[in-house]
Amino acid sequence: MTDISKITELRKLLLGMERAMGLEDLSAVERDIYYAASELASRNHGVRTTGLLSHDLMENVSRPTFFRALKSLVNKGYLSQASTSRRGVYMVNAPQV
Amino acid sequence: MLRLPALVVEIAVASTAYFVASILTFEVLTPVQDLFFVDFYSSASLLFLPHGVRVLTAWLLGWRSIIALLPGVFLTYFYLAGMKAFLPSRLAGIAIAVLVAPIVFETIARLWRDIRPSLNREPCWYCVMGAGVISAIVIGILTNLAFGSPPLDYFAFFIGDVLGLFVLMLILMLVFRQLRKASS
Repeated sequence: MTDISKITELRKLLLGMERAMGLEDLSAVERDIYYAASELASRNHGVRTTGLLSHDLMENVSRPTFFRALKSLVNKGYLSQASTSRRGVYMVNAPQV
Repeated sequence: MLRLPALVVEIAVASTAYFVASILTFEVLTPVQDLFFVDFYSSASLLFLPHGVRVLTAWLLGWRSIIALLPGVFLTYFYLAGMKAFLPSRLAGIAIAVLVAPIVFETIARLWRDIRPSLNREPCWYCVMGAGVISAIVIGILTNLAFGSPPLDYFAFFIGDVLGLFVLMLILMLVFRQLRKASS
C-alpha cells in the first residue's frame, strides 16, 4: 500500500461521497478515466494517453469520447498536462492539504 | 519496507490532524454546544471530529495508523488532563483511541471484505462510515469501562463520534471540491 498516493485515495473516497450526494460534476466516462489515471499514476510519474487508452475501463469507450472526456478532466482540474514531459503525459492532481 | 522519512511524515500529518481536530472540538464546538444544549446530561462532545481523523487514518494507513496517531492522541490527553494523562484509565483511553479503528478494519476484511484502499478497488465511502460506526460503538463501550463514566455517556460518545466522522468527511469533500474548482 505504500505505492499509492494517500491524498489520491482520500480524494477518490470523497468523490464517491460527492457522487452519492448528487454533487459530482463528472460523467461516467470522465470518472472512469480519472480512476484509470489515478491507478496508473500511482505506479509511474504521470500517465500517458496510450496507457489510459489501453486500460480495462476504457474498453468500451470510443476514441472521440475518450479525448473529449480527457479534455474536460483537464478543464475541470482533475488532470493536468505534465509541463516538463512530452505531449500526451498527464498528472493526476492531488490538491495540497 | 516503509522508509523512515515517509513514516515521519505520516506521524506528523496524522498526529497534527488529530490534535487540531481535538482542539477545535474542545475549545470551539463543545462550548458552542453548551450554549445551545444547556441541560444536556453529558459533557461529551456531540461533534467529535477526532473520531473522523482516527477512522480515516486507519482506513488509509492500516496498522501504521497506531504509530501515526499515538503522539497526537497522547498530546491531546496531556493538553486536557496534564499529568493525569499518565493515570492507568487515561493510558487505557489512549490505547483504545489508536487501536480500535485498525482492528475494526482488519476484522471487517476477515469476516466480510477488505474495504481498505487498493489499486483494484473503488473506495466505498459508506463502508468507511460503517466501519466508523462500529468503531464508535466499540470505543464508546471500552472508553466508558476505562473511565467508569455513567452508562448514559455512552450514547453521547456514540453520537459525537458518528457525527464527527460524517462532518469531517463532508468538510474534506467540500475542501477537495473547492480546491479542484480553484485549480480549473
